[in-house]
Amino acid sequence: MAAGELKLSGWEVGEVRRLPGMDVKKIGKDLYEIFIGPQHPGSGHMRIIVRLDGDVMVEVDPDLGYVHRTMEKLAEGRSYIKVIPLMERMAILDACNITLPYVEAVEKLLGLEPPERARYLRVLLCEINRIASHLYGMGIFGVFLGHSTMYMWPFGDREVFVELAERLTGARLTHTYAIPGGVRRDVPEGFTDDLRKAIRYMRKRLEDYRKIFLDNPVIRARLEDVGVISRNLAIELGIVGPNLRASGVEYDVRLVEPYEAYDELDFEIPVFEEGDALARTWVRVEEIKQSLRILEQVADKLDKMPREGVMHDKFWAKAPKLYKDVYAKEGRVKLMPLFATLRVPKGKAFARAEAGRGEIVYYVESDGGMTPYRVRVVSPSFRNAIVFKYIAPGHRLMDLPAIYGSIDYFPPEADR
Amino acid sequence: MPAVPSRKRVPSYGFLSSIKGNLEALTIGLKYFLNPNRSTLHYPREYIKLRPGYRGYIVLNKAKCIMCESCARICPASAMKMVRFQAPDPKRPGKMKLYKYPVINYQRCIFCGLCVDVCPTEALRHVPAHDVVYMNLAEMELDLEAFQQEPKSPAEEEGGIPVRYIFDSEKGLVKVRASEGGGGQ
Repeated sequence: MAAGELKLSGWEVGEVRRLPGMDVKKIGKDLYEIFIGPQHPGSGHMRIIVRLDGDVMVEVDPDLGYVHRTMEKLAEGRSYIKVIPLMERMAILDACNITLPYVEAVEKLLGLEPPERARYLRVLLCEINRIASHLYGMGIFGVFLGHSTMYMWPFGDREVFVELAERLTGARLTHTYAIPGGVRRDVPEGFTDDLRKAIRYMRKRLEDYRKIFLDNPVIRARLEDVGVISRNLAIELGIVGPNLRASGVEYDVRLVEPYEAYDELDFEIPVFEEGDALARTWVRVEEIKQSLRILEQVADKLDKMPREGVMHDKFWAKAPKLYKDVYAKEGRVKLMPLFATLRVPKGKAFARAEAGRGEIVYYVESDGGMTPYRVRVVSPSFRNAIVFKYIAPGHRLMDLPAIYGSIDYFPPEADR
Repeated sequence: MPAVPSRKRVPSYGFLSSIKGNLEALTIGLKYFLNPNRSTLHYPREYIKLRPGYRGYIVLNKAKCIMCESCARICPASAMKMVRFQAPDPKRPGKMKLYKYPVINYQRCIFCGLCVDVCPTEALRHVPAHDVVYMNLAEMELDLEAFQQEPKSPAEEEGGIPVRYIFDSEKGLVKVRASEGGGGQ
């Protein structure tokens, strides 16, 4: 018997048979219980418990927690700056978005505002990360549906944005770019020209994606009216990000509570009405278009601005000459030694941002010491995970990959 | 000008559009079949010549080090530790002095570069190498001597071709020989 084939004859109720990465248990006449994952390529780092009547899902339970790393507790034992590389590990391809609210919360406690150029540089990396994160999600979605071209193309194009992030920060992923007071590097020479080339390229590629994937009749047939989240259900479950906006809710942190330089930029928040898997894919494509628009404006703005001041004066005014020489020559911001032992005044702060997968919220409490008293994170994927339970039942088992992929659920981010 | 929401609908789709969709999908597939957009790196025959700003392996310049311990204190992964030893003090003949220098453990290092940025005298620096091979775990814990030597990329040592990726508005990223790539040596 070939792997992946299930023999149905002589199957007693209660007997478990195995598929690669899946356990199938017969629980009644035509009733099966399937444990998909957590070592299944289609489940990510989580287990989905599906109960089937024939081929139709009647109950779906997402079983989370396989990559829980106690990040909130670990943060309590680390000094403020060391929490940034830790929190980045939630979603390494969305590193700037995912750590930005933490940095903002610490800045609120310290009572300082980053300088203008630093705010634009943060937006720059956030949008590069958002595009990279969406392309990653779309690639995984493509291979879930068996469309391996759509797996290769977005992953190849993501490389363009990973390369941009590398030029800017020195690291492909886990950039540790935004730090309290500003950012760690200024743009290197010729960066904005490369950025404009990447924008022109990506605009063309989105049209290719539409042709081979979004308007492909095979993909349309598999996605249209699959996994519909109604506007009411979306609000009731409290889901966030592109999934919420695909259900017709106009909610985006960049819209309701603009942070960094977003209130000075001209862009749209795409909102779709349908709420099905296809609309969720379209939202991401439209968001990439808007991110490209933001990047264009940021590139123009950075070119016009004088190349100085990416760090708050509190950490820069007293910097020795060597520090300023390094910044002038390499664009690298040297950190004052006090960063290692940064003491943050007593208080509580709360900040949020729109990450690639939705709203991320941080609550930081300080008791005046060198380490935070409490860091609370609510990540977007955690808020989206509940959707599986509500929208998958009623669909056929083969719709599960389509639903899973369209949610862009990312277990390491949800489990923290 | 803050953000504005814009309501959209998924493009409608009828019988004719499914014919058009099929044709478009096949045409675009054929276009890239005939003119593929590839940028595969044939490592180790080729290797990426990293740019000066890259956060690669870290090297200590002992002469510049002022033993301030900032690097060991800021390291988020506890990869950097100080080694302490007594040695004769050159300024006071006959007296001993306590020296302390950083050493790194590459089993733990996450290449965040905070140590390099916090070093007040630029005694630490990144070298453009990221593919160094160690034969066992113990080798990855560098001692003071090893930490001062510049690690070499094995592909470079064995005469690989240095390449670099440059941006292009037609192809995204294009692989070129490093000598044509520009942007620093």
